[in-house]
Amino acid sequence: MSNQRKRLTGEREDEDDEDAEGIGEWERAYVDDRSWEELQEDESGLLRPIDNSAIYHAQYRRRLRMLSAAAAGTRIQKGLIRYLYIVIDFSRAAAEMDFRPSRIAVMAKHVEAFIREFFDQNPLSQIGLVSIKNGVAHTLTDLGGSPETHIKALMGKLEALGDSSLQNALELVNEHLSQVPSYGHREVLILYSALCTCDPGDIMETIQKCKKSKLRCSVIGLSAEMFICKHLCQETGGLYSVAVDEVHLKDLLLEHAPPPPAIAEFAIANLIKMGFPQRAAEGSMAICSCHKEVKIGAGYMCPRCKARVCDLPTECTICGLTLVSSPHLARSYHHLFPIAPFDEVPAFSSLNDSRRTLGKSCFGCQQSLIGTGNKPGQCVTCRKCKHYFCLDCDIYIHESLHNCPGCESIHRPKSVSLMEE
Amino acid sequence: MIFKIEDVTVYFPYDNIYPEQYEYMVELKRTLDAKGHCLLEMPTGTGKTIALLSLITSYRLSRPDSPIKLVYCTRTVHEMEKTLAELKVLHDYQVLHLGTQAKILAIGLSSRKNLCVNTKVLAAENRDSVDAACRKRTASWVRALSTENPNIELCDYFENYEKAAENALLPPGVYTLEDLRAFGKNRGWCPYFLARHMVQFANVIVYSYQYLLDPKVAGIISKELQKESVVVFDEAHNIDNVCIEALSVSVRRVTLEGANRNLNKIREEIDRSKATDAGRLRAEYNRLVEGLALRGDLSGGDQWLANPALPHDILKEAVPGNIRRAEHFVHVLRRLLQYLGVRLDTENVEKESPVSFVSSLNSQAGIEQKTLKFCYDRLQSLMLTLEITDTDEFLPIQTVCDFATLVGTYARGFSIIIEPYDERMPHIPDPILQLSCHDASLAIKPVFDRFQSVVITSGTLSPIDLYPRLLSFTPVVSRSFKMSMTRDCICPMVLTRGSDQLPVSTKFDMRSDPGVVRNYGKLLVEMVSIVPDGVVCFFVSYSYMDGIIATWNETGILKEIMQQKLVFIETQDVVETTLALDNYRRACDCGRGAVFFSVARGKVAEGIDFDRHYGRLVVMYGVPFQYTLSKILLARLEYLRDTFQIKEGDFLTFDALRQAAQCVGRVIRSKADYGMMIFADKRYSRHDKRSKLPGWILSHLRDAHLNLSTDMAIHIAREFLRKMAQPYDKTGTMGRKTLLTQEDLEKMAETGVQDMAY
Repeated sequence: MSNQRKRLTGEREDEDDEDAEGIGEWERAYVDDRSWEELQEDESGLLRPIDNSAIYHAQYRRRLRMLSAAAAGTRIQKGLIRYLYIVIDFSRAAAEMDFRPSRIAVMAKHVEAFIREFFDQNPLSQIGLVSIKNGVAHTLTDLGGSPETHIKALMGKLEALGDSSLQNALELVNEHLSQVPSYGHREVLILYSALCTCDPGDIMETIQKCKKSKLRCSVIGLSAEMFICKHLCQETGGLYSVAVDEVHLKDLLLEHAPPPPAIAEFAIANLIKMGFPQRAAEGSMAICSCHKEVKIGAGYMCPRCKARVCDLPTECTICGLTLVSSPHLARSYHHLFPIAPFDEVPAFSSLNDSRRTLGKSCFGCQQSLIGTGNKPGQCVTCRKCKHYFCLDCDIYIHESLHNCPGCESIHRPKSVSLMEE
Repeated sequence: MIFKIEDVTVYFPYDNIYPEQYEYMVELKRTLDAKGHCLLEMPTGTGKTIALLSLITSYRLSRPDSPIKLVYCTRTVHEMEKTLAELKVLHDYQVLHLGTQAKILAIGLSSRKNLCVNTKVLAAENRDSVDAACRKRTASWVRALSTENPNIELCDYFENYEKAAENALLPPGVYTLEDLRAFGKNRGWCPYFLARHMVQFANVIVYSYQYLLDPKVAGIISKELQKESVVVFDEAHNIDNVCIEALSVSVRRVTLEGANRNLNKIREEIDRSKATDAGRLRAEYNRLVEGLALRGDLSGGDQWLANPALPHDILKEAVPGNIRRAEHFVHVLRRLLQYLGVRLDTENVEKESPVSFVSSLNSQAGIEQKTLKFCYDRLQSLMLTLEITDTDEFLPIQTVCDFATLVGTYARGFSIIIEPYDERMPHIPDPILQLSCHDASLAIKPVFDRFQSVVITSGTLSPIDLYPRLLSFTPVVSRSFKMSMTRDCICPMVLTRGSDQLPVSTKFDMRSDPGVVRNYGKLLVEMVSIVPDGVVCFFVSYSYMDGIIATWNETGILKEIMQQKLVFIETQDVVETTLALDNYRRACDCGRGAVFFSVARGKVAEGIDFDRHYGRLVVMYGVPFQYTLSKILLARLEYLRDTFQIKEGDFLTFDALRQAAQCVGRVIRSKADYGMMIFADKRYSRHDKRSKLPGWILSHLRDAHLNLSTDMAIHIAREFLRKMAQPYDKTGTMGRKTLLTQEDLEKMAETGVQDMAY
């Protein structure tokens, strides 16, 4: 059945290729939207939307298990201060249309979301952007902590040209990152849409160089698995994944937002000098040190040299002190103490289930956990407080909230004793 | 893991076993029980070798009273090394669990070129000259001479080995060629002669097909093997061709000229030795009067002559009187050469049966059949008597004598074909006289008769019922196993139309059609832009490949391909091809990506693996039929039809499809691997062609993929590559168990093997 469907879309595509000029605007909307791909036939031949929620949840559980399995043995150290370069491949292959409207637009869209998410989760970290075009790597932005600058630079010129070169990109990034302080974690995330790399020299040497300078390289491929990318990631301890479709690409990108475990030989505890600047008084006028512009109000003052900066976190341009605010530190904290994954509970299918009194509704959103129709409802339970949650709340708690509402609402003395455990 | 198959306890060196490996062992065990022969097809990458080795060695351990010997035949030295390395792992495991009683002696045997440790001998460039260089130092008369003349160079390793005499033994263990060399160097013994000596004591012998199938070699190496041996032919899909080649001889002008020169030299030698040492020739004469069988004690240890393919009674007959004398023999050969020379001077193609050839030879040159039969042995004996050591220079005369012996011995299953020029280049006269064998069973018959069990196994033996007919034997078991896979890691497709919906084929009337050539080109252009790393293309012949690449070059298709990937081409030159392959691999490694153009039935298609990223896609352009106008093929087809009732068409399709399967099978070498196969010819969609592909390919060939055009294939390829790039679970999910643990096996033993996962 699915074959036929694929075949249909396959044929559909060539028609598009042949007379893309000829179709009307109204038609294009459907062609671009591909709404038929979101339908599937059930046993009786009726159309119904594809139900992906179970699959997504399974994927999420696997991710969670992987994380917690790594954390189970010993408490792992995580690099909270990351210096990440995002390399985006804008070579010829990025113009392909298999992601709609084109790979390049999809990449830009999701990188934008990723940058925001990244700074949300890693307030102390910095990002830089590099693009590959015509076989040459260009720096779009230098390392910095402001999402807006990066996004502006990224959206500026979206065009796909020429060959791609992995080696050039790595060399450039390696050069940039060689200057960052030793406590920072060097990472590069490459979005690679081409299937080959035209390099000026021996890429193996470059990979070894990256390995030596403890640069963690991760690659997200857009079309198929390439040996050299796999090799690069294996050597440098990064992740290699290939996106199946747009949603998957987004997931893969966001997987890189939480900080990775620190490389073992690199995991020495370090003390870092930081400044907590005060917000400048409303209405006060000053020239900010980052844009060299006169600004009224809004801004922070470096506690050491009293220079004015616009955004936090950043590095003071005058004295080089790292400037953060205390919520930034707090936000980074949860990566070190994640909530344990919830246990899966067999579905409540019948009303006379012995445990139905315990939790027939989700503790988070208060919705009923008893399955509707013939589909059994699935739910999970917290190991500590034994409250039940629905799948949506499970994901929300682990990925956004980072607190279990059940455990938090237990009486104070008990929770203290729990924490002492 | 240790488990039981019926009454045999099997020691398997890994913690998990594939279900097909287990089944393979069960079938093998039954064959051994029945003391019969078997044919087993199992895809490569499923651990055929280890399953085989571990069952047979375990079988040996469970029957201590009747120890069987394992003779394992491989095609290449590389495969030999791989087999021995696996055996080593297995042996260590068995010794660990059973102690010293499990100890076996396993050796690999190869030519002097691969085993010699004498640096001076090794300096010679090819196999024949290494052999000759070795003989120059080790022949008995050379060593006898050296006692008087210290200037004659000997091989120290051989001397030491001879000195150790009976004590020169290998301690039990598994010896790869490397180990043998190291051991030899260490002890100062010659590894080659040591290995040859140890053949009779070893429990496991790994060597090349030739040592069993080629009658010239088999007699020397393999005559001491006991009947209770299990002979395994691995990668045996081409075994019929190997058998045929072992018994086919071709004689060219150059051969005759060389043979004439050899004869002159022999003549001189005879004259010289007559003058200096007439007694030796007389002694030989006397010996020959008594019969060939006695020549064993000819001159201590130099018995490099034997001919087991000859019926046994020949050896007991006395050499005919007219060639007993050396001079007479030379005269006979001279006449034979002249006759052959005359026959080569023909204007048109001639085909003759051995019987009529012999009778015309008898009437025109006065050489009778019995004389012919003894030529090869007589020549060897003469060369020994004359103490000729540089045997490599005497190859032409040996070829001629080999020819004479075969013509004289076999009346059926052969034909003699004389062609004045190559069919494809009629303007260049290149006369060739071929004695071609049509009956593969002739060479392998002694093996089937002599040994208790013969196992023929390969990744592609389909259709499996044809092999017993070709080799004329009755297998007790013939089975084809499927591959159990955690994911559909191969994606075969049949492409019948180009993107313009016109059919594509390499059929004779279509192959030069510009539309077909363009469609084939477009297919590759599209594919290289979506397939990462390596792509391999197989064409039906060199001439077709040259033609199509030239056209692609003119129309700019090649340029488009080169934008995406580098292009490498196989040529008939081995060195050039090796270089191309090496660079191809490098291009795949460093991410540049590459395309390799190769030819079905070529060296690359037979022996080189394109596993992992070295081959993500293989495109088979056309159906690789043999050149059907070849006289030899026609003669063979006729013979097959008359003798074995195999239809011409059936045999041709079988042969073409096994070549195609062999080509595309290069792409996947293990279960973790993945790859696509495109059969680009409309003829593949026909059932009679397709059904002859091996089962493990067919089971993945879905109906939807049987009649694709280029753009549909592109779409499928894209999806497939994305799917395969995702992480996967190696052990398989509950529904399809692909790795069995010890408990699984025990459970299975209770419920019976029949309920297995298929």
